[in-house]
Amino acid sequence: MKNPSEEQRSMQEEKGVSRRAFLRGAGLTTAGTVALSTGLLSFKLESPVKPPAVLGPGEVAVRFVLNGQEREIWVEPRTTLAQALREHLSLTGTKVVCDRGSCSACTVWLDGKPVNSCMALAVDVAGREITTVEGLSQSGTLHPVQEAFIEHDATMCGFCTPGMVMSCAALLNRNPNPSLEDVKSATSGNLCRCGTYPKVFEATLAAAKKMKK
Amino acid sequence: MANPNNKKALETQKLKLPFGIPGHNLTEIEREAAADEPPALPINEKLSVVGQRVKRVDALQKVTGAAKYTADIQLPGMLYGWFLHSPYPHARIKSLDVSAARKYPGVFGVIVQGHEAEQKDSFGGNELPLLRYAGQPVAAVAAESVAIAKEAVRLIRAEYEPMPFVVQLDEARKPGAPLVYEETIEDKGNAGDVGVKAADEQKGNLRGPTTRSFAGGPRGDMEKGFAEADVIVEQEYRTQVQTHCCLETHGLLADWKQDMLTVYASTQSTKDVRDELAELFALPTSKVRVITEFMGGGFGSKFGPGYMGVAATWLSKLSGRPVKLMLGREAEQISAGNRPNSHQFLKVGAKKDGTLTAVSLLSYGTAGIGLGAGVGRVAQDMYVCPNFKMEQYDVFTHAGPGAAFRAPGNVQGAFAMESLIDELAEKLDMDPLALRDKIDASEIRGVQRKQGAEKFGWKRKKAGSDPGPVKRGIGVAQATWPRFVEMDSSVMVRINKGGSVEVMSGVQDIGTGTKTILAQVVAEELGLKAEDITVKIGDTTYPDALGSGGSMTAEAITPAGRNAAYQARLKFASHLAAAWGVDAETIEMKNGEVLSSSDASKKMTFAEATKHMPTSQVLATASRSANYNGFESGQWLGHGRLGAVQFAEVSVDTETGFVKVERVVAAHSCGRPINPMQVESQINGGVIMGVGYALYEDRIMDLNTGHHINTGLDTYKLPHAREIPQIETHIIEHYDAHSSTDASGIGEPANIATAAAIANAVYNAIGVRIYELPITPQKVLAALGSI
Amino acid sequence: MNRFEYVQAPSVKEAIDMMNSTVPEALIKKATSPAYVVKAGGTDLLDLIKEGLVEPARLIDLSKIPGLDKLTYDNKAGLQFGPLVTIAGLENSEEVKKNYRALHESAAHAATPQLRNMATMGGNLMQRPRCWYFRSSEHKCRKKGGFTCYAQIGQNQYHGIFNTNVCPCVHPSSLATALLAFDGQVELTGPQGRRIVPLSEFFLSSEENVTQETVAESKEIITNIILPPVDASTRSAFVKMGQRESYDWSIADVAVVLKMDGKRCRDARIVFGAASSVPLRREDAEALLKGKPVTEKLAMEAATKAVEGATPLKHNGYKVKLFENLTKRVIMQAVAVG
Ligand SMILES: Cc1cc2nc3c(=O)[nH]c(=O)nc-3n(C[C@H](O)[C@H](O)[C@H](O)COP(=O)(O)OP(=O)(O)OC[C@H]3O[C@@H](n4cnc5c(N)ncnc54)[C@H](O)[C@@H]3O)c2cc1C
Ligand code: FES
Ligand code: FES
Repeated sequence: MKNPSEEQRSMQEEKGVSRRAFLRGAGLTTAGTVALSTGLLSFKLESPVKPPAVLGPGEVAVRFVLNGQEREIWVEPRTTLAQALREHLSLTGTKVVCDRGSCSACTVWLDGKPVNSCMALAVDVAGREITTVEGLSQSGTLHPVQEAFIEHDATMCGFCTPGMVMSCAALLNRNPNPSLEDVKSATSGNLCRCGTYPKVFEATLAAAKKMKK
Repeated sequence: MANPNNKKALETQKLKLPFGIPGHNLTEIEREAAADEPPALPINEKLSVVGQRVKRVDALQKVTGAAKYTADIQLPGMLYGWFLHSPYPHARIKSLDVSAARKYPGVFGVIVQGHEAEQKDSFGGNELPLLRYAGQPVAAVAAESVAIAKEAVRLIRAEYEPMPFVVQLDEARKPGAPLVYEETIEDKGNAGDVGVKAADEQKGNLRGPTTRSFAGGPRGDMEKGFAEADVIVEQEYRTQVQTHCCLETHGLLADWKQDMLTVYASTQSTKDVRDELAELFALPTSKVRVITEFMGGGFGSKFGPGYMGVAATWLSKLSGRPVKLMLGREAEQISAGNRPNSHQFLKVGAKKDGTLTAVSLLSYGTAGIGLGAGVGRVAQDMYVCPNFKMEQYDVFTHAGPGAAFRAPGNVQGAFAMESLIDELAEKLDMDPLALRDKIDASEIRGVQRKQGAEKFGWKRKKAGSDPGPVKRGIGVAQATWPRFVEMDSSVMVRINKGGSVEVMSGVQDIGTGTKTILAQVVAEELGLKAEDITVKIGDTTYPDALGSGGSMTAEAITPAGRNAAYQARLKFASHLAAAWGVDAETIEMKNGEVLSSSDASKKMTFAEATKHMPTSQVLATASRSANYNGFESGQWLGHGRLGAVQFAEVSVDTETGFVKVERVVAAHSCGRPINPMQVESQINGGVIMGVGYALYEDRIMDLNTGHHINTGLDTYKLPHAREIPQIETHIIEHYDAHSSTDASGIGEPANIATAAAIANAVYNAIGVRIYELPITPQKVLAALGSI
Repeated sequence: MNRFEYVQAPSVKEAIDMMNSTVPEALIKKATSPAYVVKAGGTDLLDLIKEGLVEPARLIDLSKIPGLDKLTYDNKAGLQFGPLVTIAGLENSEEVKKNYRALHESAAHAATPQLRNMATMGGNLMQRPRCWYFRSSEHKCRKKGGFTCYAQIGQNQYHGIFNTNVCPCVHPSSLATALLAFDGQVELTGPQGRRIVPLSEFFLSSEENVTQETVAESKEIITNIILPPVDASTRSAFVKMGQRESYDWSIADVAVVLKMDGKRCRDARIVFGAASSVPLRREDAEALLKGKPVTEKLAMEAATKAVEGATPLKHNGYKVKLFENLTKRVIMQAVAVG
């Protein structure tokens, strides 16, 4: 049986639309989008005044900065950022629970702000910076929120934990001096069925204190 | 449940064990125990690892995203499964054609429920099973991606013949209601409460009545009991269907190879999954390996492989590739289990001084197409009353099957019983705590009431007496839960040359902290720290252990863990003694060191000492042995119940009907708390789930189409950060001298009393009682007569 | 989600041009599925596509169009913001906080922090209703071109209490309540050019059109949102009530904007959200307030007036009382905030 993604690609080629279209940092040129036709990895800039490229429905390349490193992946436009992270990049720390924006288990940072990766398309983040839970503790040092979560037992089954950690760490980035209300507000979209909330609050407030020292 | 310890059962020893409550009535008691049991473990205060707030040993993996759950595992060549679900609550499948799905590019397997082995393209007429709820699985597809599998599912052509259905408890009870089953069924799907016996009568959609539980049957003389009463209170209560909402949906990754079926399962019981799959696929259990390193929540609903696990295994067997089949959120909410609802008629008679003279309960509940909606144990068991009777009916409806859910039956039952006891107290003009002091024989709950009330600052004003539109109120309620013991629980401990120590067991950690408490009991025994112990559990390669349910895990696995560590330690010590030329009895292990009390020169680190082992490893396997104080009945019900008392403070906005739980004080005991920090977490979790049950959660069925319509996590309302009250836990150590660790469970007791305490507090705030959960703004405004 | 093409629109003009270009036949799933659909934050659209309610052949992404994410305020022109301004952008704007308190409150209480970072205001006004029957692919309801309204005969505890004859869906935007109370306007740009539509005319009730919630035509996009300036006499307040405080769809939300001469009310606008298929102005109640000193008693009278004519359904009668009590509160809050 033929690999469907191959099939999709060849279908796209038949259409003659920017064969393996490449989507990079949108907004990098005035045209916003740049279409490139490929001989494999040799990307050739087409004139930016041409109409914007129609990409897909087969796989397209998306380049973005993931946890500080530039990455390129091939995904169908319908692929969510969460899927791309989990299935294409094997970064399974980001969890998908509702797939609808209702639980925040899939929280990652987009240019530093927490968003739901289940409600974003991978193609949307071209040229932008993504931080996942795996990227929070790069080079082996834990983020103070992660440390505090361990210290204060803010995990039970742990499935909501990456999302919680990303929400709480983002809070401390923008507000080093949070009140209990602020922590509740920052985690108000995060569902934890095990009921770690009290310890999450405690841990985040403790982390804030520690970071100030 | 056989006693695996039979070999040595004849030789016994006498142990002097701590007994009672420190700071209250702690003494020692002598018990007879098997000769190979370790010596008595002193109370927590005297220990260095057990009883300490040890950090979860797997927390690092969880906070960094490194923890791999079933949903996260990717194997080379892996396929993804997806289901076709019934669009009708009750229908016959007239024909089913899966040919287009089979041919769809990227699809590697299609199965039809109940006909998995038949690789036909079309199924007709009466070949296929009747569909009994909207969302019931019909067929499954395995493909290269979930997206392709979903597309293929849409290509399955099915023709249905819809039939009359009933999804509502009251309607299903009526004569002439559409029948869910034409024939009496086997006890199938179990919502976890006392099984409705196969022998129970089934009439229409009604199954029962069940009049017994493992706590016994009817007692006394009801007529006499009520005749003796000075006061009789009688009410009708209703509770809703609550869904588990596990964050990780039910699912399993099956990798069928010629020599071995390997299964990664999000399960509460590696053993059950293995045994059921082995039986279904006619494999020896040795050829099925089940792995659950991390799992994202079960709450009672994840025991066997489930229909999704069976389908994944079939698809893997047929395609020759690993198949991961995780339910989508909608299917999870509909078909992966729920707490049955209830309609309870409860009547209590009492003397003027509070003494209960009679308790009678009639209850109905629906676990959809499943069974197990009984609620009677709290009414039966919590208070002293000579005359008791219950009749519990299971009612079938065309809805997803119930499953055991954190304290099955008791949560529903406690809401009714504890509300009614509150009402009785008012009628008798007694304080609710004073009444309970009178009628509750449980010593531990007595202490919990007293200490909890102090911590809470218990002082009730007259119901509804707050001025202004937002009124505060307080309430209390109690919990009871049996002490189950599962003796088929084994642990292996391995001491390696170089000083590393492993503890291994099939038992899984479902978020309760099993890994950590195992590390603690082993570390305590070997004089090490918890982080020195490598915990390898959740794999049927290791010795078999229990499923995590019934609040049994700590109770069962920590004695096995300690016993195994003790046996390994004895072996290690005997090698050392030989090497050192001292008596093995003199060898002590503490603070990471090993020494001989008879020879001060013999002292070295644990790691160094292991170099004296003649083999590279010393290992021992041990099991949970029988309770030192025997069993209440048979071999599995321990003496004494697990009790809890919870206090709640709420505010109620009488203009909007909005209720907020402000504060909860939860007084609990779980025997010896192995890790108080984890116990707190479990109590928090139970309370929060109780808050959800009391105020928000409700499965909503559309009566016209028979569909469950709030399957989203935005429309099925769960407590989030701002709904969390200030929770103060109060853990009372309680030594009962029944096992080598004397630990008991906490998960379920923590969830039983909360909703009732909140309901009682709402009454105290507004002066009107609400008899139906959840207590929504709508119900509050209605109760206040505003609408 | 179905397979679709994706294109990032570099400008409004090109976005509109692209709606005219053709889409491969093969991608059109059903006769009813649109050839293209525009996307901003995607928080509603992806939901609809995942559920199979919209199966677009092409997604035109507006989210990278430069300039559409600007927010400005001045005393003459009032508040203007592009459709790509996010809910968080509104919530965090000092201008909004200072001058349009009710709008700030509505932004701060919408959805979750994550969603507020993603959700745009253009998308917020264009989002589809959250009725559980509409959102279920298994129920072909009137809004989806069917003949039955399942809500009228079914589970309608969160549905509308006004104008419930055709479809009692409520408009899901809790920000629209505040925007209408401030007498906002929407700029639409389409192949024929631009037009400004007051919000009072922007939303279509289910009686007017059951399958479409706004007057925006399929080739029009929102390019600007405008609120008239406020002055020293403006007072506003907003309250949203869900079953939960953390995040929840409104059971009821109310926005009140008053112009006060001292204690006397010169002008008033009262708007209900989650009461009907459109954000609903309560003009009779407003009239009661005008020209009078606002006391608790008058506020209650206005509140009672505001719920007059409600036609609740079987399970949502409580919402009438709720709106009444909330309205009184929000009026008093507006007066109190000064
Ligand atoms: C869990 C949850 C809770 C929520 N709670 C609330 C709440 O409390 N209050 C509230 O108000 N909302 C709430 N929302 C809705 C949320 O605010 C909207 O989904 C969001 O504002 C939509 O914006 P978007 O940019 O993501 O739009 P998209 O999803 O990109 O688009 C939505 C629709 O608008 C169209 N569209 C987008 N931009 C334009 C434009 N410029 N011109 C014309 N058409 C356009 C699209 O074609 C699409 O049909 C909630 C959503 C979720 C998932
Ligand atoms: S998985 Fe993204 S919000 Fe739930
Ligand atoms: S820890 Fe299990 S869901 Fe949060």
